[in-house]
Amino acid sequence: MDNLYFLLQQTLYFAIPLLIVALGGMFSERSGIVNIALEGIMLFGAFFGLLMVKYIQDMQGKEVLDNVSRQQLVLIVGLIIASLAGGIFSLLHAYASINMKANQVISGTALNLFAPALSIFIARSIPFTNYTQQVNFRGKAFLIKKVPVLGDIPFLGNILFQQVFITTFIGFLILILCYIIIYKTKFGLRLRACGEHPQAAASAGVSVMKMRYLGVIISGVLAGCGGYVFIVTTSTQYNATVSGYGFLALAVLIFGEWKPVRIFFASLFFGLMKTLASAYSGIPFLANLKLPSEFYRMIPFVATLIVLSVSAHKGEGPRALGEIYDPGKR
Amino acid sequence: MKRLLPLIALTFTILITLGCRAQKYEIAMITDVGTIDDKSFNQGTWEGVQRYGKEHNISHKYYKPQSKSTEDYIKTIDLAVKGGAKVVVTPGYLFEPAIYVVQDKYPDVKFILIDGAPNNFTYDESGNLVGGEERIEDNVYSLFYAEEQSGFLAGYAAVKDGFRNLGFMGGMAVPAVVRFGHGFVQGAEYAAKELGLDNGAITLKYHYLGNFEPTPETQTMAASWYAGGVEAIFVAAGGAGSSVMKAAEATENKYVIGVDVDQSGESDTVITSAIKMLATSVYQCLDVIYNDDSQYKNVYKAGQKMTLDASIDGVGLPSDFSRFPNKQFTKQQYDTIFMKLKDKEVPVSKDMKPDNVTFEEFFNLEKVQVTVIS
Repeated sequence: MDNLYFLLQQTLYFAIPLLIVALGGMFSERSGIVNIALEGIMLFGAFFGLLMVKYIQDMQGKEVLDNVSRQQLVLIVGLIIASLAGGIFSLLHAYASINMKANQVISGTALNLFAPALSIFIARSIPFTNYTQQVNFRGKAFLIKKVPVLGDIPFLGNILFQQVFITTFIGFLILILCYIIIYKTKFGLRLRACGEHPQAAASAGVSVMKMRYLGVIISGVLAGCGGYVFIVTTSTQYNATVSGYGFLALAVLIFGEWKPVRIFFASLFFGLMKTLASAYSGIPFLANLKLPSEFYRMIPFVATLIVLSVSAHKGEGPRALGEIYDPGKR
Repeated sequence: MKRLLPLIALTFTILITLGCRAQKYEIAMITDVGTIDDKSFNQGTWEGVQRYGKEHNISHKYYKPQSKSTEDYIKTIDLAVKGGAKVVVTPGYLFEPAIYVVQDKYPDVKFILIDGAPNNFTYDESGNLVGGEERIEDNVYSLFYAEEQSGFLAGYAAVKDGFRNLGFMGGMAVPAVVRFGHGFVQGAEYAAKELGLDNGAITLKYHYLGNFEPTPETQTMAASWYAGGVEAIFVAAGGAGSSVMKAAEATENKYVIGVDVDQSGESDTVITSAIKMLATSVYQCLDVIYNDDSQYKNVYKAGQKMTLDASIDGVGLPSDFSRFPNKQFTKQQYDTIFMKLKDKEVPVSKDMKPDNVTFEEFFNLEKVQVTVIS
C-alpha cells in the first residue's frame, strides 16, 4: 500500500506543473494563437520566481527557514512573481504574432531560444547569484509532511494531504477556475469564438485583438507559474532548464483536446506513466519482475499510442488556430 | 563627412585590432561542456589557473568553444595560441582528439589535459575500438585521477557511519564515472569487513542515469530508492545531483554523497563528497611548467600519463565530518584509512569490469550485495 501511495504522490509532482502549463496553453490556443513558447516562458517565470525566493530566504534566519508554515508564504510570493514574469514575457509573443502578424511558430521558437540565454546572462551579471547561472534555494520547508485532520482521511488523505506541496492545491484551484472561466463566463465564450471564427466574433462586436492579447497573457501567467512549480517540486536549484516539460505540456494540451477536464486527465496519465518509467527500480514488486529497463522506458510512449488509437475523436483544435487575423476575410 | 566615414571606420578597426594584439594571455583554459561556474570540472580547473596566475602575476583567460566538437575545440585552441597562450589547460576526456592534433601543431606550447590522454581513436557503430593510436608528446601533461580511491573513501565512510543500504547513480558509464562507482563498492566492502558484519549485510543499488542533467525522472528514481529503503545515494553525475538531493529532502533521514567538488553547500542532506583536487593539481602542474625547481617535478612529468591519487592528495573527502548523522565516522578514522591508501596498504582495483561478470565475482564481494539496474 505504501508503494501505491508513493507512486501516486510522485505522479502528482509530475502532473501538477504539466496541468498548469497545459491549461495556460489552452487559453492562448483557444484564442487562436499557437503558443509553443511555453517552454521558454516556464523558464523565465521560474527564474524570476526563484530569484525572489532566494532574495527573501537570504534575509531569513535558520528558524524561519525551517518553519513550514512561514515558508509557504515565501513559496506563494515566489509564485506570484513567477506568474507576473511569465505574463510580461509572453507579451513579446503576443506583440509579434498579433500586432506584427508574424508566424506564431517562429515567434514562439524565438522566445524558447531567448529565455535560457537571457536568464543566464542576467544571473551572471548580478552579484546576488555570485555571478553563477544557478539560483539555489532552500526547499526543504516547502514540503508539507501532513495536513492536520485532512491527512488522516484513509486513502485520499495519504495521496492528497501527505508529502504534498501547497502548489498541488493551487493546481486544482487553477483547474476549477479555468473550467469556469472558459465555459461559464462571457469572456470565455468570446475567447473561444476568436479561436474558432474571429471574423464572426468581430462582427458581433468583440475585439479580436484584445481577446487574443488576453489569451496569450493568461497563458504566460500560467506557464510562468507552472515552470516555477516544476523547479520547486523537483530540484534544489534553478539551472536554466525545465527539461523539455514545456513541450510535454503542449502534448498534454493536444492529448486533452483543448478541454480543461480532459487536460487534467491527460496530465495525470502522463504523470503516472513517467513515474512508472522511472520509479520501477525502487518498488519491490516491479523490480522483482526483472524486466529490462527499456521496457519501462517504453511505457509512456506505448501507452500514449494505445490510448490515442482507442480514444481518438475527431480531435480537432480551434479552427482558426495559427491563422493570422485578417478582418477583411469573410 | 560622408566620405570621411569609411576612413573613420577603418581607423577604428585598426585601433581595435591593435588593441587586441596588445593584450596577451599566457595561460589559457578551454572550457568543457558546461559553464565556467559549473561547481564541478570547469570551475575547479579555473580556480587552479586563477590562483597560480594571480600569485605569479601571469596573465590568464578562459575560452569557451562554440560547440562540443573536436573541430571547435581545435579552433578555440588556435585562437588561444594566437592570443599569446604558452600553456593551454583543457579539462575533460572530450579534448583527447583535439590535443592529439594540436600537440604536433604547436610544439612550443604546453598542454595540460585533465582526465584524458591524446589519441585519435576511431570507433565502429557499436562503440568498439577499430583504429587509431594514443600518443603523448613531450609538451603534454596528461593527468588522471584515482577516482576509485575517492569513491572508496565515500563507500568506506558511509558504511563506517552505520549505513547498510546504499545506492550509486552515475551519469554515464564513462571511465571516470565507472571508477567512482567501483571504488564505492569496494570501500563499502572493506568497511563491512573491518566491522565484521554478516555476509550480505550491505545492499547496494547500482545504476547509470544516461545523463548529467537535473531531471524529474532522476528525482523520481531517487525517491523510489529512498522509499524502498536506501539510506544514502552516491551521485557521480554532475548537475543530476540536485534532483537526488530534492528526493532526499522530501523524506526523513535520507542522505546524499556528492562528487568532484564539495557539494555540501547545495543541500543539508549532503553528508560528504568524493572529491578530486582539481584546483590543487592544476596549480601544481603549472608550477612544474614555470618553475624548474618545483617541488612537484617528480610527480608531473610531460609526455606520459599520470594518475593523481591519495599519495599526493589528488583525491579525498572534504574536511568537515560533522554531517555524518550517526557520528560514527570521524576525522581520526578518515586520517587512518587515508594513510593506508597513501601507503598502498589497501588495494583498490581500478580495472574495468566486463558486462557479463557480476560485481560479486569481479571484486570478490562477501559483505556487499550489488543490485545492478540496467
